[in-house]
Amino acid sequence: MSTQHIVSAFDRDLEGAQAMVLKMAGLVENAMSQAAQAFETNDLELAHKVRGNDKVIDRLDEDIKTNCARILATRSPNASDLRTVLAVMSISSNLERCGDYAKNIAKRTTVLAETRQIDGVPAALRHMQSAVASMLQDVLDAFIKRDVDLAENVRARDYEVDEMYNTLFRSLLTHMMEDTHNITACMHLHFISKNIERMGDHTTSIAEQVIYLVTGEMPDDDRQKSDLISQSKPDELSRT
Amino acid sequence: MDDLRAINNDVESNATKISAKNVQVYYGDTHAIKDVNVEIKEHTVTAFIGPSGCGKSTFLRSINRMNDTIDICRVEGDIRIDGQDIYDRNIDPVQLRARVGMVFQKPNPFPKSIYDNIAYGPKIHGLAKTKADMDEIVEKSLRRGAIWNEVKDRLHAPGTGLSGGQQQRLCIARAIATEPDVLLMDEPCSALDPIATSQVEELIDQLRESYTVVIVTHSMQQAARVSQKTAFFHLGSLVEYGTTDDIFTNPKDSRTESYISGRIG
Ligand SMILES: Nc1ncnc2c1ncn2[C@@H]1O[C@H](COP(=O)(O)OP(=O)(O)OP(=O)(O)O)[C@@H](O)[C@H]1O
Ligand SMILES: [Mg+2]
Repeated sequence: MSTQHIVSAFDRDLEGAQAMVLKMAGLVENAMSQAAQAFETNDLELAHKVRGNDKVIDRLDEDIKTNCARILATRSPNASDLRTVLAVMSISSNLERCGDYAKNIAKRTTVLAETRQIDGVPAALRHMQSAVASMLQDVLDAFIKRDVDLAENVRARDYEVDEMYNTLFRSLLTHMMEDTHNITACMHLHFISKNIERMGDHTTSIAEQVIYLVTGEMPDDDRQKSDLISQSKPDELSRT
Repeated sequence: MDDLRAINNDVESNATKISAKNVQVYYGDTHAIKDVNVEIKEHTVTAFIGPSGCGKSTFLRSINRMNDTIDICRVEGDIRIDGQDIYDRNIDPVQLRARVGMVFQKPNPFPKSIYDNIAYGPKIHGLAKTKADMDEIVEKSLRRGAIWNEVKDRLHAPGTGLSGGQQQRLCIARAIATEPDVLLMDEPCSALDPIATSQVEELIDQLRESYTVVIVTHSMQQAARVSQKTAFFHLGSLVEYGTTDDIFTNPKDSRTESYISGRIG
């Protein structure tokens, strides 16, 4: 529905809410790439900056919720207008969580500076991170263009991120079993990989919101979850 | 707050109470209702929505043959209540209207006392044996119409001396005094303040347990709140009919969407 409302201030309200969530998305994309860069280059100053910037993202999330609550109360939106407001609120929550994960990666980067290097893991993390970053970029594109196919595509790609996470998890376990001195570093690296994996899940949930926004229905086929951790014991995993 | 179940809005399995097939209504040469087909469910609140002049009142009036009272009006097609053709020559419109009560768009109290406004219907249909019975019916109806407290001290004052909103609630009380099967309400809350509106909405929700309610309303929020099924009319046609949830969150027809979301259609 792109035709205008009879009350033009209603159009401005809806456009304003969507602009705010896109602004927030830009900040989250930044936080994610800066956290990755800080980790990669051991840039503690940048890590510190990412941690500080999360407050701005949290504030925007609150502003978006307040604004949406006002639209619900004053305009009583229906149909696609209602779905727009609901989608914006939910996307804002997903982005806020992604911001938290970026902040947590930055925090662990500071700690990791004191621990030993684990071969091969940074490259695997970079791989995962860039997969999630491109999912986020595409899902925002799908939101702006109301593109269901692109959103479906993003949803499907989360499977690959889960696979990368599983592989990385196995390799971290191997490192820890080989040498217990690796445990501290590996635990932090595991949390970082889990953070990236969770960002993928939130991006997927944004994709579902886009589908709901356009079609009025949540995608119903449950995405196959490739999370070995919740299904098997660690020693089984390290053998596979 | 022990009951965590969502309000049961699933009425799809309810039996059909009113069935309309290929209904046309004309005022002289004006074709006001064009080939409407609809099945209205029992124990359900059905909302009729649509822009002014689209034929909501006209269609509503054809369900209790109120259109018979308009000289130039002609109704064609088939309308059945409980499977019985209401335009059959054996049907007495007066009896029909006791079963199918109506609250009109404009309040129309009789030029009699408040008490007699309510007692009139029950009296002609022999619903009260004694004065005490009648007193009870009058009080119960006025309470359900959310007006008892305002009129209990002046039951013998004329109904026409009430304010517009009070008159409307008096008419609602009058319509339910005969305990009809079906209640047709044409914008019952248009003259009411928010408190009385909530009281009438509460009443409508209660009535659904025993009756079938059809309500015409210009308030989209009211339609969304009180009804389980919604029918959208446009230029005399029934454009979309579905569950209220679907109509308000995900309408299929772009005309419905434009209308309910206040867009330039
Ligand atoms: N008594 C009448 N004589 C002639 N034409 C009529 C009569 N009543 C209604 N109409 C015409 O029939 C059409 C439908 O009118 P109706 O009153 O059913 O609309 P409505 O949807 O109830 O509108 P509103 O929301 O304004 O009450 C209109 O074009 C109207 O002018
Ligand atoms: Mg009308």
